[in-house]
Amino acid sequence: MRQSLAMLAAVVQKEVRQTMRDRRMMALLVMAPLIQLIIFGFAVSFEVDEVPAVIVDLDQSHQSRTDLQRLLADRTLVAVAERPSVPEAERLLERGEAAVVIVVPRGFERDLARGRPATVQTIVDGGDPNRAGVATSAVTSYFAAESEARVRARVRRANARLPEVRTSSRVLFNPTLDTSVYMVPGVMAMLLLLITTIVSSMGLAREREVGTLEQILVTPVSSGVLIVGKMLPFAVVGLIDFGIALVVGSVVFDMPLRGSLTLLAVGTLFYLMTTLGVGLLIATLSRSQQQAFLGGFLFLLPAALLSGIMTPIRSMPEWLQPWTLINPLRHYQEILRGSLLRGASFEELHVQLITLAVMGALVLSFASFRFRRSLR
Amino acid sequence: MSALTATSLVRRYGAVEAVRGVDLAVEPGELHGLVGPDGAGKTTTIGCLAGLMHPDAGEVRVLGEDPMARGSSAREHLGLMPQEYSLYGDLTVGENLHFFGQLFGLDRATYRARVERLLGITRLAPFADRRADALSGGMYKKLALSCALLHEPEALLLDEPTNGVDPVSRRELWELIYAFVDDGMAVLVSTPTMDEAARCHLVSLMHEGRIVAQGAPGALTDALENPVCEVVGGERGALHELLEGHEAVVAASPAGARLRVVLTPGAEPRIAADLAPLGAELRRVPPDFEDLFLATVWRAGHDEAA
Repeated sequence: MRQSLAMLAAVVQKEVRQTMRDRRMMALLVMAPLIQLIIFGFAVSFEVDEVPAVIVDLDQSHQSRTDLQRLLADRTLVAVAERPSVPEAERLLERGEAAVVIVVPRGFERDLARGRPATVQTIVDGGDPNRAGVATSAVTSYFAAESEARVRARVRRANARLPEVRTSSRVLFNPTLDTSVYMVPGVMAMLLLLITTIVSSMGLAREREVGTLEQILVTPVSSGVLIVGKMLPFAVVGLIDFGIALVVGSVVFDMPLRGSLTLLAVGTLFYLMTTLGVGLLIATLSRSQQQAFLGGFLFLLPAALLSGIMTPIRSMPEWLQPWTLINPLRHYQEILRGSLLRGASFEELHVQLITLAVMGALVLSFASFRFRRSLR
Repeated sequence: MSALTATSLVRRYGAVEAVRGVDLAVEPGELHGLVGPDGAGKTTTIGCLAGLMHPDAGEVRVLGEDPMARGSSAREHLGLMPQEYSLYGDLTVGENLHFFGQLFGLDRATYRARVERLLGITRLAPFADRRADALSGGMYKKLALSCALLHEPEALLLDEPTNGVDPVSRRELWELIYAFVDDGMAVLVSTPTMDEAARCHLVSLMHEGRIVAQGAPGALTDALENPVCEVVGGERGALHELLEGHEAVVAASPAGARLRVVLTPGAEPRIAADLAPLGAELRRVPPDFEDLFLATVWRAGHDEAA
């Protein structure tokens, strides 16, 4: 036992030495996560504004000019050009210089004055559905409010009352609907995955590629000690990165820390078991560092896309949804968001925690089994 | 009990049979050479003995134990110096030694004493802080050998230890090996260089996965039935034309200004008669290990054809 601990210490010390000596690796481990967190936090934002719009004002009246001006006032839509006809405006859409065309029909002012319905047309580029949705809803809600005001005015003049339902909504947990607060925990989960899976699989593949593995295998060190010794430093690096990300997230992005840190730590530990296990598994399938790196990405990309970090799982195809349950990233991001943003308790997150723990134990033991066998 | 044994060892890579029934035994205090060209199956034989790969048939034993078996103590008494780079290039000489010392479970005092001795013999002490990948080929091999010797194994496997090493370092490596063999270590060393075979106590000649001859190097060359001669006189082009492809000539190779030939047994008078019109004659020379190898490989092919 004491012997094994001394061997474990030797493997850890060697691993730390090698990593510290490799400047690029150090940069990858510490700086890259920070930079990525900040870039992702700012860039991966689903808020859409300043959608480029082309105006086709066929009415050229006082009324049409006022409405267009007020529509554009909040800068959700920005007029990039004005064109005298619809075909000419559509050409800008085709060239990608604008995302929406707003057409005010001839006779707009006159129709409204006479109390007749008028139709404002929007033509959108559906290439970016999110932006298209934002653009149409900006136009729709502006004219809906305008119409409502007209109706109200008329009702008032007739001394009648308008039966109506008002809605009032209150946003909990992220009152400003700030997407970066929502994104940062997801990015943290992805960074941990990147570091622990790819770096650990590459570390093991390197021993094999360089030939040092043979020399180690003829020593009395057990494969268990070897695996733990090689993984432990990266688990620690992962936890340190996690801590840094937590601080940066709360300082730079005002991300709240509502839940308990113990819960976060336990969840992170279970999560690291799965990611390190996957790293080990990839190492058993790879002959070189290059293969390990590519293998890591082969896992990383679908894991990130099917985790619910970028797009809600509810909006994925129905047959795909159950498969996301085997994705450790999905459970971990639920723990992170639940705990950080909502202050969720152990009871609320116990399903995710247990799933991760079971998954981690299974993946790690299967990977170690394979690793041991691959040594022969 | 032999320190290292292989019995009817067979190992395949897919459809290729790299080792096809090898038998050998190395006793304590014996330096045993495994000699053969590249691709003969030397590295595979060593890999099986080291417990790095499973034999497909037959068995290997290290100090009477199966090196692959769980809980086998064989690994504590076995040293290996692989042919390829096997150390951490980004760690220093001292750090590499320390790491392997720890893996072999050496206590501090033992470790210090042994490192001091090894660095002394290999004259690596001044380079203790140099990174392994900044060492010359010879120094690197000396370090690799030192790492394999740290735990003073009872059995040592060396896979082409002098490959890519300058003559001076080569001699130092052999000195280091002899020092431990004299203390009773069993050493199996593979080499493609025939002249190194003469340094061993016993030699197994390996060719295409089989051992084609085994014995003390002197006894093996003495027992060689094929006459080995130098061709004196004559014009080189004409000699070449006559000897090349001659059914009684096993091998012909230039040795200095002369041509050295290995003949089939009893063919000497015939060849001498053929050479006389060209103004050349045969002069018998003592066979060396390379001649032995060429003759043995020829005999193996001859027997197979028959």
